[in-house]
Amino acid sequence: MGEFKKNELAEKRGYSYRLTRRQFLVATSAAALAACGPAAVAPGATGSAAASPGKTLKIGQLLPFTGVYSELGNSMRRATELYLKLNDNKLANRPVQLIYEDDANVTATGIQKTQKFIDQDQVDVMMGVVPTPLAYGIRNAVHAAKMIFIDTNAGGNFLTRDVPNCTPACKSPYIFRASFSSYQISYPIGDYLSAKGTKDFFLAYANYGFGTESAADFTTGAKKNGGNITGNVAPPLGNADFAPFVTQIKNQPTKNVYSFFSGADAVGFIKTWNQLGLPAAGYKMYGAGFLTEQDVLKEVKDLANGAVTSLFWAVELDNPENKKFVADFQKQYPLLPDVFSVQQYDGMRALDEALKKLGGDTSDKDKFSKALEDVTFKSPRGDFAFDKSIHNPIQDIYLREVKTQNGQTVNTITDKIAKVTDPGK
Amino acid sequence: MSAELVFQQALNGLSFGALLFILAAGLSLVFGMMDVVNLAHGAFYMLGAYVALSVVQRTGSFWLAMVVAPLALAALGLVLEPLLLRRLRGRHLDQVLLTIGVSLVVVDQIGVVWGREVRSLAAPAGLDGSVALYGGDYPLYRLFVIGFGVALAALLSYVYSRTKVGMRIRAGVEDAEMLGALGVDTDRLFALTFAAGAALAGLAGVVAAPVFGLQPGMDLDALLYSLVVVVVGGLGTLGGAVAGSVLVGPADTFGKVVFQEFALAVIFAIVALVLLLKPTGLLGRIRIAR
Repeated sequence: MGEFKKNELAEKRGYSYRLTRRQFLVATSAAALAACGPAAVAPGATGSAAASPGKTLKIGQLLPFTGVYSELGNSMRRATELYLKLNDNKLANRPVQLIYEDDANVTATGIQKTQKFIDQDQVDVMMGVVPTPLAYGIRNAVHAAKMIFIDTNAGGNFLTRDVPNCTPACKSPYIFRASFSSYQISYPIGDYLSAKGTKDFFLAYANYGFGTESAADFTTGAKKNGGNITGNVAPPLGNADFAPFVTQIKNQPTKNVYSFFSGADAVGFIKTWNQLGLPAAGYKMYGAGFLTEQDVLKEVKDLANGAVTSLFWAVELDNPENKKFVADFQKQYPLLPDVFSVQQYDGMRALDEALKKLGGDTSDKDKFSKALEDVTFKSPRGDFAFDKSIHNPIQDIYLREVKTQNGQTVNTITDKIAKVTDPGK
Repeated sequence: MSAELVFQQALNGLSFGALLFILAAGLSLVFGMMDVVNLAHGAFYMLGAYVALSVVQRTGSFWLAMVVAPLALAALGLVLEPLLLRRLRGRHLDQVLLTIGVSLVVVDQIGVVWGREVRSLAAPAGLDGSVALYGGDYPLYRLFVIGFGVALAALLSYVYSRTKVGMRIRAGVEDAEMLGALGVDTDRLFALTFAAGAALAGLAGVVAAPVFGLQPGMDLDALLYSLVVVVVGGLGTLGGAVAGSVLVGPADTFGKVVFQEFALAVIFAIVALVLLLKPTGLLGRIRIAR
């Protein structure tokens, strides 16, 4: 304790030492510096400013780089930088400056960083946001600041719907979504399967906002054609041990199981599903597409064979834009693109198209919003357009079955539900 | 619930409890000896799992990983104790804070070296199948985990009560200062204890990997559960770790399926109840404040 200055009063009160003012300043400024760490500006993105006529376009990207969703953040960052690289680091002739902030999957942190984008960085447009609670959390601040925000992941239905009292969130003229609403990846598959004659389902879903939303949308879809939900299990999000839940599934008679899990939860669920012998007992796995995306298939491989899921994209999707996207991505990075990179890539494309129409002028936010509403283009996922009244994409939903072909486990496209729109008004 | 279902869930709960025991034993050991709640324990667990992943990728041998990962963690412990913790001896709260710092560094480095994707590890050949038990097939690996947990408890109990090292550890837990006065090199003993705790965390990481997988955030889950186990069972005793894990494992399993909406609340309700009725934990010793 010798190196610290002693303070008699503090000692009497039971504190062993206290910081001098200088130590306090050193410590807090070091902490402040450390907090600024992740906000690195992408090297190269600001280059060649002298040669370009336009004013620098600042894009604030709110992504998770630490915590459980950090790989999603990395993937979306890769897509952003790939898009810029292919476009000479310019959008509508404006050089681009990317400002990344790490929300660390903590809603309060994300809200602070959003405020920083608005007040301090004064970015021209904001993108990113992985968890739905964070998207809901920043909705009012973004709306009040007339900040154009392109959501490139969070799928909570309410962000692009007209909601009474705007609780927990509601649509805004300044908020666009380049990803999906949870309705779009859950309702159509319920509708489709029940129309084809599969009526009884058991539900298994991660017990958090998005999981329960997805399960409810699936239920509505299935019931439309006389489907029936016989029961459910709902593990907490980030559940470690799936055996208790899969054991419950195995001890009930409904063989068709619709599940909503992603990432680590999906890997745990699928592995336990096999360990407990559910395929041999005749159980069949259905789910929202994230259940069998690349990050999961890479780990579970053929254990997921036979699972039928729905999503707006698959790496195997056969169209020229997707072939080019996958090839470009693989040229730049030693891995396959995933659905998160597609969402971000499309977000960048939508922004680019809108800016071109505006001649790069982002000063009038209402004109900016109008320009985004009119954007249409051919995306790796198919035709991309925003639903003008709510700003959610209108998109085709693909039915995919997991198969192992030539040693590679992939989602093969089995059917397509065209032009699915969110029912929001 | 049918009898078959109860039986299967009991096995799930016991195998979860066995994993919790392997995890909590190291935390409890270090606390008993050094009065330090090592909050880097979860990070050590995570590191053990990732080291195992690399060993399995290189050599294909899960069993080798079960040897290499604990050894690697022991080595780390042997470096960290003299380098960092020893400098703050006697300042328990500062040591605890220091272990938080260590955990942040370790977890971040894991992200740099192994990436932040979700990974998984297959159960070793021979244990990847299942056996027919009352009420249906049950995975062999989870049965192995139960057996391994019991064997480890027996081994640790033997080391504690029958060997010279165990005798010194028990003496150190009782009164480290007096032990030093009697001529035992307590610095060395502390370093070894810390290393043993780290090795147990690493071992838990390997054994749990085929069940729970590997992903960012696993360190915090592990830390939380191991804290729950030692608080319920009683800090600093082997019996406490056993009692805590045997109670918490099944309680968590049944709680999650019976009270689905309160899945996470069940074990914390137990913690609250135990702390209320017996603040030292089920088998905890009454500690004299030092």
